[in-house]
Amino acid sequence: MRNRAVKMVAAYLLTILFLLFLNFLLPRLLPGDAIIAMYSGHEMAMTEEVYEELVRMHGLDLPLHEQFLTYITQLAHGDLGYSYISNAPTAELIMGALPWTLLLVGTSFILSAIAGIVLGVESSWRRGGRFDRSLLTFMLLLDGIPSLALGIMALMIFCLHFGWFPSTGAMTPYSGAEGIGHIKDVLWHLVLPLATLTLSMIPGDYLLIRNSMMLTIREPYVLTARAKGIKKRRIKYLHAARNAILPFSTRIGIRIAYIITGALFIEKIFAYPGLGCLTYSAISNRDLPLMQGILTVSVLIVLLINIVVDMMYKKIDPRVENAY
Amino acid sequence: MHIKPFKDFKNDKIGVTGLVLILLLITTAILAPVIAPYDPWDYSAPAFQPPSGEHPLGTNDIGYDIYSELLWSLRTSILFGIAVAAIACTIGLVLGVSAALIGGMYDMIVMRIADALLAIPTIMILILIAAYFKPSTIVLVIALSLVLWQTTARGVRAQTLSLKTKLYVKAANNMGAPTSYTMHRHIMPELFPLYAMGFVTKARTAVFMEAGLSFLGIFDPTTKSLGIMMSYAMRYLYLDVWWNWLLPPVIALSLLIISLGFISYAIEEIFDPRLRRNNATPI
Repeated sequence: MRNRAVKMVAAYLLTILFLLFLNFLLPRLLPGDAIIAMYSGHEMAMTEEVYEELVRMHGLDLPLHEQFLTYITQLAHGDLGYSYISNAPTAELIMGALPWTLLLVGTSFILSAIAGIVLGVESSWRRGGRFDRSLLTFMLLLDGIPSLALGIMALMIFCLHFGWFPSTGAMTPYSGAEGIGHIKDVLWHLVLPLATLTLSMIPGDYLLIRNSMMLTIREPYVLTARAKGIKKRRIKYLHAARNAILPFSTRIGIRIAYIITGALFIEKIFAYPGLGCLTYSAISNRDLPLMQGILTVSVLIVLLINIVVDMMYKKIDPRVENAY
Repeated sequence: MHIKPFKDFKNDKIGVTGLVLILLLITTAILAPVIAPYDPWDYSAPAFQPPSGEHPLGTNDIGYDIYSELLWSLRTSILFGIAVAAIACTIGLVLGVSAALIGGMYDMIVMRIADALLAIPTIMILILIAAYFKPSTIVLVIALSLVLWQTTARGVRAQTLSLKTKLYVKAANNMGAPTSYTMHRHIMPELFPLYAMGFVTKARTAVFMEAGLSFLGIFDPTTKSLGIMMSYAMRYLYLDVWWNWLLPPVIALSLLIISLGFISYAIEEIFDPRLRRNNATPI
């Protein structure tokens, strides 16, 4: 157990170092001038005074270690820099978008995990049968359709052709709806982005669970349970799936990174005002401080989830406690 | 149990479907300069022409032939996929084998970097790097390879560690075989499935990333790319041109990724003996 903890802490520290490298060191190591690189895309007159002002503002006239100290202090205070394009603190912009992404990604993660687990368990139980084969083929096909394409197709069919769902935003602006009406409106806008993101996540979960289930149902204890006459559903979910779920839970961190990537495209397609949309506008405006801020926040979120999963892992698999 | 990869692959319907599909797509991509009716970088007809005999998929907002653009974009996707897969797998192979053979501090550092890479949303890093360095395809190929090597390295390391302790490898060592000999005679051939698997899955990720990043507007807008086609077509949704402009790149990208997914599934079925249906097959 200690071995595992040390490994994880080392990986987390490395991730944070890498993040600092990307956000702090890389722009300063770039050939040429950081200020020119950062502002070259903008239409502004780069006079001598403006240039010096910018250098001072970014603290680039200080020695490197002092710059680093300032950077770390600011970061610790939750200051992610200032976006000159939007004329607002980066942290504020991110905090405005984050709840929408968390709503989308969180719900989608839970729904896809449940669907993936149930379908995977049922499929492996009927291995080689018609249900299993057709579901497997369907899932492999679905797995092949990238979230990007899935989102565009959903947009074309349900928004443009049938007009059933709204094609942009997370709620109707100026509708003035309160209480239940407001919640309904938000859910209404959530349906399509959520459905496409969830659909794009299910095949991965399904294939993983199906594979690991296939190995567990061969275990002698499953045979014993059947011999004892325990109900099938109980064996499937309480005996076999309980163990088959382990590889799934170790991959939660990876899946979170995946789903954030997926959300990036889905949000852009449906103009859903989360981090993905913010990233897109940061890219098109070449808003570097905002991009750095988004990277920092998303990496920190993934790390946090990983730490939580690691701490929960003992609960999910009590054997790890005695494993080392 | 003996594995006959090629025979097993031939019997795997999903794998064969994937292989046929990918070969068709690759052939199309190679032949793009020959079969594309027009120069995809040049005006060929008035804008927004509906599909016709002369323009199978019509023309786009600036009068480029969409069919020719599609063929050239497919070429970009496939080249990008192959380049990233080859570089990332090679890095993974070298780091994995060396970590297993050298061990100690070096092993620890390599594996912790691999752990760290696993949890970072790769695409954010690529976006940032692309923003610093200005979009250049080569830079992105290298950047993507540098963040995708870790799954292969991890698998290769584990396999090499277990092979090192095998009796026949020890026997060869005891008889005085140099490491280079055991490497290419005993260890490398056993690593082939991991390499093949890694290659296909990485090509799949790379194709997706290329389309996604160009969709977000990170690539050089003058390259032909499925993602760029999609992002331009998305701007004219209201003109009802989606079925001949937006849909073709979406389908092409999906076919490409589906075929690679089928192949990787088949490879996994064949080389992971635990997943086989009749485990007890005699030799």
